[in-house]
Amino acid sequence: MQKARLVRRRIRAVRKTRDITHTMEMVAASKLRRAQERVVAARPYAAKLAEVMARLFTPELAERYPILRQPVRPRRAAVLLLTSNRGLAGAFNANLIREAQAAMAEHRAAGVETELHVAGRKGVAAFRFRRIPLALARSDIGDRPALADARSLADPLMLRFETGELDAVDVVFAHFKSPVSTPAVRMRILPVTPAREKGVGRAIHYLFEPSADEILARVVPLYVRNTIYRALVENAASEQGARRTAMKNATDNAEDMIERLTRTLNKARQAEITQQLAEIVGGAEALKG
Amino acid sequence: MIAIGSGRPFHVAVITPERKVYEGEATFAVVPAWDGEIGILHDHAPLLALLGSGTLRLETSKNGTLRFRVSGGFVQVVENEVAVLSEEATEV
Repeated sequence: MQKARLVRRRIRAVRKTRDITHTMEMVAASKLRRAQERVVAARPYAAKLAEVMARLFTPELAERYPILRQPVRPRRAAVLLLTSNRGLAGAFNANLIREAQAAMAEHRAAGVETELHVAGRKGVAAFRFRRIPLALARSDIGDRPALADARSLADPLMLRFETGELDAVDVVFAHFKSPVSTPAVRMRILPVTPAREKGVGRAIHYLFEPSADEILARVVPLYVRNTIYRALVENAASEQGARRTAMKNATDNAEDMIERLTRTLNKARQAEITQQLAEIVGGAEALKG
Repeated sequence: MIAIGSGRPFHVAVITPERKVYEGEATFAVVPAWDGEIGILHDHAPLLALLGSGTLRLETSKNGTLRFRVSGGFVQVVENEVAVLSEEATEV
């Protein structure tokens, strides 16, 4: 009697948990869809920008514009870690934090002084708990990052890079390969090294207004800002993907658990009935004398 | 209305980091470049120009005249493909 009641109570509890995780899964799936659209919508601009950068970029220009400088021996670096504000997304934030720590360890092993900038409540909390000082701690960037968010992160870093205060800036974020594959990646955003354009056709003889190098110097900040913007957008989509997967697993586990508990319950009930029957039969036998 | 140029169309895309604001054909485009406006017609030479702040005007055969407020960025013209990239571009 006692056991069956306990099991029933447990089934009820697990069922409630399952309902909650299932709802969270659905919410994440719907947010994921919209976040994914934003990732796709950000592609045309990034593609064009990369194409133009690849065309304009020549290493010789590096000396003329501070934003293009290529430090030979970096002394001070910054790691910008993007995490989420909310948890219950599996190992999403843990992976990002680990990647950021690996980046910092590498810099330090190379004798580079490294500061850590963190966006997202989860990352901030993790490093505060470990008493690791943060150069920047922000938790005001939501599910739908805007270009203004990217600008507020990128512009101070670019300024400090130009003045020589920083020699390298890495950003750590979750690359949105697919909703179920969101590996933490590290990307060097400063100094700028544009990916060589694949299959550059014949050189196009552009009219430049103003000169090519002046255009480049103005396009680089757009490029850096856009790189951070895309990291934010991908991170937001990855977060929802990771949460959907985590909540789906939780829901499936709850189902399994309910099934197992139901079996235990049936067994306990069966045992109870058997017990009662035995008692009745025993009692009747005794009365017969 | 006096038609400007040959009236032959070319492809125009107005793109911000967040989305494509416009994509379609135009017969004439006026771009607010950094030091003044640039007019673009069919078969314009390849061009890469910085933008200032101002109004981008597109003459289209389907939708008439379209205007966008842009601020910063650049315009690229290659083989009748005009790409206007700006961090801020809104239709007005």
